[in-house]
Amino acid sequence: MNTLTRKIYSWVNDRVQLDNLVEFMGKKYVPLHRHSVWYYFGGVSLFLFIIQVVTGILLLLYYKSGEALAFESIQFIMSKVQFGWLIRSIHSWTANLFILSAMIHMFSVYFGKAYRKPREITWLTGMLMFFLALAFGFSGYLLPWNELAFFATKVGTDIAGIVPIVGKPIMQFLRSGDEVTGATLSRFFGFHVAVFPGIFTVLLGIHLILVQRQGMSEPLGLEDESVAERKKMPFFPNFMLRDLLLWLIVLNLLAILAVFFPWELGRKADPFAPAPAGIKPEWYFLFMFQTLKYIPGKLWFLDGEVFGIMLFGIAGLLWMLIPFWDRKSSRGEQTRFINYIGLFVIMYIMILTIIGWLA
Amino acid sequence: MKRGLLVVPILLIALFRFADAAGGDQCFTCHDGLGDKESSGYKHDIHFAKGISCAGCHGGNAASEDMEKAMDKDAGYIGVPKGDEISKACASCHSDSAKMHSYGAAIPTNQWELLKTSVHARLATNGQEQIVQCITCHGVHGIVSVKNPASPVYPLNVVKTCSKCHADAAFMRSYNPSLPVDQVEKYRTSVHGQLNEKGDPKPAVCSSCHGSHNILAASDVKSRVYPVNIPRTCAECHSNPEYMKSYNIRTDQFAQFSRSVHGIELMQKQDVSAPACNSCHGNHGAAPPGVSSVSKVCGTCHALNADLFSASPHKKAFDDEHLPECETCHGNHEIVAATDTLLGTSKDAVCSRCHSQNTSTRGFIVAGIMRGLMDSLSTEERLATALLGEAEQKGMEVSEARFKLRDVHQARLQSRTVVHSINETQFRTTVDKGLTVATAVVAEGQHAIDEYYFRRWGLGIATVIITIVAFSLYLTIRMIERKRRASAVKNYPMK
Repeated sequence: MNTLTRKIYSWVNDRVQLDNLVEFMGKKYVPLHRHSVWYYFGGVSLFLFIIQVVTGILLLLYYKSGEALAFESIQFIMSKVQFGWLIRSIHSWTANLFILSAMIHMFSVYFGKAYRKPREITWLTGMLMFFLALAFGFSGYLLPWNELAFFATKVGTDIAGIVPIVGKPIMQFLRSGDEVTGATLSRFFGFHVAVFPGIFTVLLGIHLILVQRQGMSEPLGLEDESVAERKKMPFFPNFMLRDLLLWLIVLNLLAILAVFFPWELGRKADPFAPAPAGIKPEWYFLFMFQTLKYIPGKLWFLDGEVFGIMLFGIAGLLWMLIPFWDRKSSRGEQTRFINYIGLFVIMYIMILTIIGWLA
Repeated sequence: MKRGLLVVPILLIALFRFADAAGGDQCFTCHDGLGDKESSGYKHDIHFAKGISCAGCHGGNAASEDMEKAMDKDAGYIGVPKGDEISKACASCHSDSAKMHSYGAAIPTNQWELLKTSVHARLATNGQEQIVQCITCHGVHGIVSVKNPASPVYPLNVVKTCSKCHADAAFMRSYNPSLPVDQVEKYRTSVHGQLNEKGDPKPAVCSSCHGSHNILAASDVKSRVYPVNIPRTCAECHSNPEYMKSYNIRTDQFAQFSRSVHGIELMQKQDVSAPACNSCHGNHGAAPPGVSSVSKVCGTCHALNADLFSASPHKKAFDDEHLPECETCHGNHEIVAATDTLLGTSKDAVCSRCHSQNTSTRGFIVAGIMRGLMDSLSTEERLATALLGEAEQKGMEVSEARFKLRDVHQARLQSRTVVHSINETQFRTTVDKGLTVATAVVAEGQHAIDEYYFRRWGLGIATVIITIVAFSLYLTIRMIERKRRASAVKNYPMK
């Protein structure tokens, strides 16, 4: 450390006791085993979220919400603002990669049974953040006010409206009325840039503090080995630098995607135009959308779509509450049943998504 | 003696029976004796000639001399048919091909079915019958063959027959107040009408265009006079060389029209706003537009072109030469889409038909200049379109430039109109407006393509930098880990 850096460190340390943090970081280790690679996806998700925050703020400098201005302002960002095209494309691509990365992170935690005691709250905050990420995607999709976004929002909110009793009020709340209009756009904009980020930041704070406090979870089998036999890596600087290396690669990947596959804007939404043929939601909603197509119109006394939505609702709730019903894992016992459920869910999502994509 | 007495009543009965079965049309015999106008008219009726008795329509026993029996309802007597019963009575034979055949008639038997689908079959104002019955046009008790000059539907009479209702404003108001009632007056001014009045049965009459039994409203797509169908309706006569032989006029108008821009729009693209034959020639008052009125006819749609032409130096020149205005350059039935080749001094240009005689004349020079300007604008527009297409294909956002390109296209269309003014300054102003926008669009298109390559270069440089940083990071990690391993070995040496 050169003199100037040391001086600055001392100045800061005198005021905020950096030594404590450095000492804590120095004692922090990351377990090394054949599944360690999955640990990186938490960091990648965090990095992608940071990119979303930064690019989102930059877009806010030019984006204008409102039926008459939204599309045109994005058009302006794409064609007139210096590097506006890059910021918008990166924001759109990152949104997708963020959900993909968060999904991988979620499944790696699931299969590693990392949700077991004492990390139930970490899992819950993670799941809530994942649902929020989907809500970010859904609300952000409408903001360019283009044809696809308009009809996807219409279909999406229609589906929400099917839920018995609470569905209609939820739909009206989301749309700010009975139809998707400029008022819906303003509402979604508010959710996307203020409400969701606020909640997300709180959840992320809790999630990260818990990860730091509790350290990385180790797979069940590893706990049998003695502490001395277990391999580990210092979090700082080794793991953090590796994280940084991966972030750089992800950043480069994003730049390549933005340049070679710039996010299209399409045509401006026209509420009076017929819906374009083959309208589909974003890929991460596709498996649910496709499932609803396969469910018959009437199942026993229930409407087919209501049944489907309730099914996904219950499945999502059970998935989120797994730390509380998977008692075996909490006791440190191996359970194949949970793995089979996880594999089934992955296969189901992948197959239905592919079918939906090709349909 | 007793036997002889028995014969008398038998003979009397036989006589009565004989009288009852006297045969012949006893209805006609009696009524003719009375001298009523129905029976006197019926003498000339084609049905009378075919041996059809009054009972054929009125029912009853035509063979009975006894009025009571002849007009007995039990014998099928219906009296004077009312409303739709009239047409049904006609149809009882005319829709039965076997019956018609038995009378030696070879006429169609679908008239009643056709009539029921026609506009005339709508409910009359009394709400009880259709508007038109067979007898409305064909008459009654004196019906003759349609080929008979005495028939009300013979070509020379049909106009008068139709106009009985269609020229009656009070009557027509009850059914279609917006329908004109001056068709017959217009018709009399038409070439068709004038020939008809001279006794020529061949020129078109009402039924030639509108049909006879199956007349539909002109707004009905199945109507013979629906805009899209009009050219084929006119062509039935006008494309028949044999039929038109005696009039000494061409018969290729339909073929020419089919190839024209108007014909393609109307008949292929089904655009009813495109002109049909009647748009230029008139319908009921059909006649070829004269030299002096061609521009007025075309000008009903192409108003700006006509106005500019009328104010141009060409107006007087054409008038002096007795040249039809629009037709001289664009033709008549086979008007093809106007292209830039029409303008200029080349062999294909219409200007050179008059102006090529002396290359130093003002007209020749202006034609050349105008063509040059038009070519510049077209070239610039093509370039702009190509550049924007390329930029879009490369994924660049050029919608604003694409929007501006419409102005270039608009300027080119305007210049095609302004060309009719033959005013170089006015033409140049219009073209320059387009050229200015086109140049800006070309610049934007080029900028978008340059930007595309700039992005790729930028990405390449960024990738190199990121790779160097990443590689440095990798080396740093390796160095740190090597140090750590060395330190671990030092602290815990292998035994």
